[in-house]
Amino acid sequence: MAAPLELSCWGGGWGLPSVHSESLVVMAYAKFSGAPLKVNVIDNTWRGSRGDVPVLATEDNIVSQPAKILNFLRKQKYNADYELSAKQGADTLAYIALLEEKLLPAVLHTFWVESDNYFTVTKPWFASRMPFPLSLILPGRMSKGALNRILLTRGEPPLYHLREVEAQIYRDAKECLNLLSNRLGTSQFFFGDTPCTLDAYVFGFLAPLYKVRFPKVQLQEHLKQLSNLCRFCDDILNSYFRLSLGGISPAGQETIDANLQKLTQLVNKESNLIEKMDDNLRQSPQLPHRKLPTLKLTPAEEESNSLQRLSP
Amino acid sequence: MSLVAEAFVSQIAGKVPFIHVGNQVVSELGPIVQFVKAKGHSLSDRLDEVQKAEMKAYMELVNNMLLTAELYLQWCDEATVGEITHARYGSPYPWPLNHILAYQKQWEVKRKMKAIGWGKKTLDQVLEDVDQCCQALSQRLGTQPYFFNKQPTELDALVFGHLYTILTTQLTNDELSEKVKNYSNLLAFCRRIEQHYFEDHGRGRLS
Repeated sequence: MAAPLELSCWGGGWGLPSVHSESLVVMAYAKFSGAPLKVNVIDNTWRGSRGDVPVLATEDNIVSQPAKILNFLRKQKYNADYELSAKQGADTLAYIALLEEKLLPAVLHTFWVESDNYFTVTKPWFASRMPFPLSLILPGRMSKGALNRILLTRGEPPLYHLREVEAQIYRDAKECLNLLSNRLGTSQFFFGDTPCTLDAYVFGFLAPLYKVRFPKVQLQEHLKQLSNLCRFCDDILNSYFRLSLGGISPAGQETIDANLQKLTQLVNKESNLIEKMDDNLRQSPQLPHRKLPTLKLTPAEEESNSLQRLSP
Repeated sequence: MSLVAEAFVSQIAGKVPFIHVGNQVVSELGPIVQFVKAKGHSLSDRLDEVQKAEMKAYMELVNNMLLTAELYLQWCDEATVGEITHARYGSPYPWPLNHILAYQKQWEVKRKMKAIGWGKKTLDQVLEDVDQCCQALSQRLGTQPYFFNKQPTELDALVFGHLYTILTTQLTNDELSEKVKNYSNLLAFCRRIEQHYFEDHGRGRLS
């Protein structure tokens, strides 16, 4: 347990600690179970492997794939499912299977196959985190891997066509999101008040979909309408990931809030003043007389007047 | 209901099962269930939203683990492939079509396994996954007669279909069926459905 656990994974953006679903699942689980992980974010130096990310390295082991990593952490006594009953454990397996079968193909499609999204967001982001020649090859390979996975699990042999399955996978994903929303209801986490493996998986799959800004957003729009799922993601981000976000620390956040408050007060005062002036003008008996002189202006003068008013 | 349950026994073969109704042919579980539902028979109407979500999740678990494990065992385990699968798959066709189609199917299945990350799994790991899946099903079933208490649903039909096939198909090694037999409530579940719904056929292969 004292051995240092190092996790290599893809980095974050858009308010997330990582934009890669599987990395996020592992990071969330580690936070929930209290495992002390040292997170090494992959950048564009040649350090570290990019193959099977996320990868957990300990003194004598290298473990890849989220399911295996979570199993390993559990064996090291970092168990977030300690309080679950046997039936809840079984439900966890079932819901994870649901996520992988129904939601994952559409998430993969949104990130890696939909051309607008891939070329404007995903590819540049990943390419910027890889050293030079790899940045030309690896994103393309990841994209092809995603496409393959979608086609081989959902398409019809022998000629696999994307168009046939596109509509179906988005339908399935929307249904899956609805099911998750129904199951979550109004509780804070899926099984009671403490988060466990299923919460880590759901967070890992949903958070990138929720936060990353894409041009083509049909699945994201659907997710945003399910307010309890959005609240679930935001809660986890705020409770478990705020400090390590590397952006704004709580103290900084407070000064920003204070400044915002002052600004709001100033604006309110201004608008109050303007209202008072407006009232005064309306009540003042001179107003009707004042209007007459302006009507006498010739069109040319009026135009030059209005131009003068408009210039900064 | 018996229509849906019966349609399962040969599900592994691919597009089977299918049902003929008048001019229409509907194949595979999902569409068949929808079709029967549209005709006014549904097994899961009385479930509430949370239970429906659970049912769908467990059906995906069975598809994800059991179906993939069955495919793996049939097509990626060399012993089984050589002795049983090639011959059985190619048997309706004349030479050389029987060999060509069998190899093509094997190649397709191997590609799929690789895409979902099962390509590097050993047989033991696959059996462990099956064990985990059966454990989950067993815990969910508990001591109830069906997964959602008194009445069977689509999930019961799906689980029955897979488990029955695993238990009754002869393969080169019996480890898969041994894994299932470890869970007595699953075994009792299969026997109960077989006796209740299939007794007129006089089949009693589950001993």
